[in-house]
Amino acid sequence: MIRAFAIVAVVASTGCATVAPQQRAILADPTMQFDSEARHEAALRHAIDNREGSMGGTGVAGGGCGCN
Amino acid sequence: MRVQLGKKACASSLAVAVLAVLGRPVNAQVAEVDTSHTVFYEAPTHTNMFVYTPSVDVKVAPSPWLEVRAGWEADVVSGASVSTKFGAVYHASHPADVVSTASVHDLRNMAGGELTVKGDTTSLTGGYDYSTEHDYQSNSLHVNARADAFQHNTQFALSYGHNFDRVCDRVQTESDPTRWSALETSTGCFTADATRTTHSIAIDTFESSWAQSWTPIVETQLTYTAQLVDGFQSDPYRSVILGEAIKTQEHVPNERARQAVTGRLAVYLRGIKGALRFSLRGYSDTWALRSATAEAEFEKNLGDSVRVMLRGRFYKQSGAVFWSDDYTGGDPPLGPRGQYWTGDRELSPFWSWLAGFRFVWTDEPEHGRILGLLESFKFVGSASVTSFSYDQYTLGGLPVSDARAYVGTVSLVAAF
Repeated sequence: MIRAFAIVAVVASTGCATVAPQQRAILADPTMQFDSEARHEAALRHAIDNREGSMGGTGVAGGGCGCN
Repeated sequence: MRVQLGKKACASSLAVAVLAVLGRPVNAQVAEVDTSHTVFYEAPTHTNMFVYTPSVDVKVAPSPWLEVRAGWEADVVSGASVSTKFGAVYHASHPADVVSTASVHDLRNMAGGELTVKGDTTSLTGGYDYSTEHDYQSNSLHVNARADAFQHNTQFALSYGHNFDRVCDRVQTESDPTRWSALETSTGCFTADATRTTHSIAIDTFESSWAQSWTPIVETQLTYTAQLVDGFQSDPYRSVILGEAIKTQEHVPNERARQAVTGRLAVYLRGIKGALRFSLRGYSDTWALRSATAEAEFEKNLGDSVRVMLRGRFYKQSGAVFWSDDYTGGDPPLGPRGQYWTGDRELSPFWSWLAGFRFVWTDEPEHGRILGLLESFKFVGSASVTSFSYDQYTLGGLPVSDARAYVGTVSLVAAF
């Protein structure tokens, strides 16, 4: 799986898709950001993660259990 | 004492922020203060939980290549949780036994900081968090490296975090886990109390992500996360009935290797000036728990100052290999599961849905400052409801109903 991830990443990042700097206005819009309100996302994830057996995709920082 | 440590960290950060503001040109944004307040509430069968989470975060940029962040967060917890778990088979032969609950009151304080060094296309972040609860202490270090390539169309990020955690437990006089007793209260934890001990938990988390802009309106992100947990992972307070007169502390494996792959897609819809975002996540671990998560969000600008977002989420998981709703007997999926046992509904098979919305209002004047002081001001409010449907988990054979949780957050962000 990691090998496939690396192959796809290398192929895709070698110029197959290019957006010129002057075309990036929409990509920079907050609505296009995956974590535009990180604090709110973290609060919701904290609640959800303590009710589910899963994790992942949301960063590595953080401390403590807080798992009541 | 540990609470004071968190307050001191915040006070120091605020002082640094003020000094930095005073020393900067008028129009340069050098500091951001963010305070959030989250409320969580649920009241499923026999239990309830209320958690209030305030937080303060201060971010200072003393130069274009340096960013310093410090924060404090707390969880104020009160409620009642199941203290002894048994299922339908045991309850049928012991109808007089009722599901017992224990009141929960806890306070978690977390203080931490981060330092980020930024270049034109790269950044490196290092951070530390310390948190303490009545029965749990955590020291957490993390580093994050990020690089942009191909005119910012491609972004790679690598992150690693390590937790040095400690959890309180009761001193067990027997070597046989089936004779272990659950911790009654957190009184005496992390003291010289001879009836208390601590177990260590080491958590290593690695994450790599690749984000790609494909067209002026399409972006994707692929993330791989791996985590190794080594240490005591049971709920020390929870007992499980294993058989006649065998009530023992929950006992789960010390090692757990977890991994997840998350794919995300964002598409901007020019006609309605909004963005659709989709997310899919697959997860598996060495406890044989598998899950899939699908999420969709729609976010739209309403004028220059307001953004609204709607969210829907679906989640489904299998149970851990040692999960059983009743270890005393019965036909599969009931019955014993070898050397481990748990009463944790998060390790049982279930599915859930979530619906939520978010409202963002931003005031960022092109000229001058708000009240002559603020570069920008932002209010964010969000609310979500999530509902759980348990396939097997019961409380003495009684299915859990009203398993809904409500989460609401408001935050204020001021940039100086």
